[in-house]
Amino acid sequence: MQREEKQLEASLDALLNQVADLKNSLGSFIYKLENEYDRLTWFSVIKVPSVLDSFALLSGQLNTLNKVLKHEKTLLFRNQVIIPLVLSPDRDEDLMRQTEGRVPVFSHEVVPDHLRTKPDPEVEEQEKQLTTDAARIGADAAQKQIQSLNKMCSNLLEKINKEERESESGGLRPNKQTFNPADTNALVAAVAFGKGLSNWRPSGKMPSGIKTNIKSASMHPYQR
Amino acid sequence: MEAPPVTMMPVTGGAINMMEYLLQGSVLDHSLESLIHRLRGLCDNMEPETFLDHEMVFLLKGQQASPFVLRARRSMDRAGSPWHLRYLGQPEMGDKNRHALVRNCVDIATSENLTDFLMEMGFRMDHEFVAKGHLFRKGIMKIVVYKIFRILVPGNTDSTEALSLSYLVELSVVAPAGQDMVSDDMRNFAEQLKPLVHLEKIDPKRLM
Repeated sequence: MQREEKQLEASLDALLNQVADLKNSLGSFIYKLENEYDRLTWFSVIKVPSVLDSFALLSGQLNTLNKVLKHEKTLLFRNQVIIPLVLSPDRDEDLMRQTEGRVPVFSHEVVPDHLRTKPDPEVEEQEKQLTTDAARIGADAAQKQIQSLNKMCSNLLEKINKEERESESGGLRPNKQTFNPADTNALVAAVAFGKGLSNWRPSGKMPSGIKTNIKSASMHPYQR
Repeated sequence: MEAPPVTMMPVTGGAINMMEYLLQGSVLDHSLESLIHRLRGLCDNMEPETFLDHEMVFLLKGQQASPFVLRARRSMDRAGSPWHLRYLGQPEMGDKNRHALVRNCVDIATSENLTDFLMEMGFRMDHEFVAKGHLFRKGIMKIVVYKIFRILVPGNTDSTEALSLSYLVELSVVAPAGQDMVSDDMRNFAEQLKPLVHLEKIDPKRLM
């Protein structure tokens, strides 16, 4: 019994930590939606808040939560039962503290939401509807639909990747080009050994007003 | 008078042998703002720092075939800053796993009479340029984005002309020799600047 108790405590702790992280991420996402909605974008390459970033974070945390629940050392919470022993309309200071001020009263209104184990009746109805619809199609047709969805997704992914690869080279699409490799080479050469910098060195442009004899006798080591 | 023999060995003599790890790329003028924006997000939070420097490269021709190169740099917008004298060795090539260019590096702050001193020692100015741009830091990494200006009349830094329609982007770390994991960190940072800028290890000898 004692081992089970210890296990219960450990699993509860892990679960609480995960849920706390999830709550914080949700909280900051909601804050972003409410306060930074004019600057929020779906996706951004630079470090400004983006909705997809938040979604990715939440999805990752939900995954970890699932992993924690499925972990072999985690007690099967399904076997545990929670029964409310006392319901009262009075304020409970202890509960306030433990829930960070969110649940002031342990009353008849609060319990159905917090101790819920099944979805809302409407949601349950919808789910049942969907399950019967799905069963009606038949296994073969369902398989075919799954395959065609997968194929469409992979086609789309391929197109996106190809587009990304093409624009990364920087040279194929003039309006998206952000750097010019020839310029890089010219600048590196200028900084490394002064190519194109001095007037008396042969360079592409001759500065006006300065007539120098390029074939002058300087035995410069870099001269070609 | 014969020029004194010049050694090509890395300057040691009591100090730690420092190496400069370098990755370079460029960005076109119209994409500069996007790059600055991204760098401000990625780098340490500090006031955006700009600089305007005048660099002069001096050569000392000794008996060896290749001359000894020293770089003298002064700030044009920060009065009273010391001059900066820098020696850069030949890049250490060969290790394909190393992701950055590595070369011996010695940095010294000097007083304003640096050029006179170098001329007295027998150095002659080979070329000069003006560099104007932005400086960022991330930990020990330094990122500079600057435009190079050709000086039209030698010694006159007022009449300059941009060398190209791009800004040079350099990611560098100065660290003691042997810290090769530095180049891994640099490569990871460089990945974050793609596809705006491609920072890579460029061997200057290929461009001669």
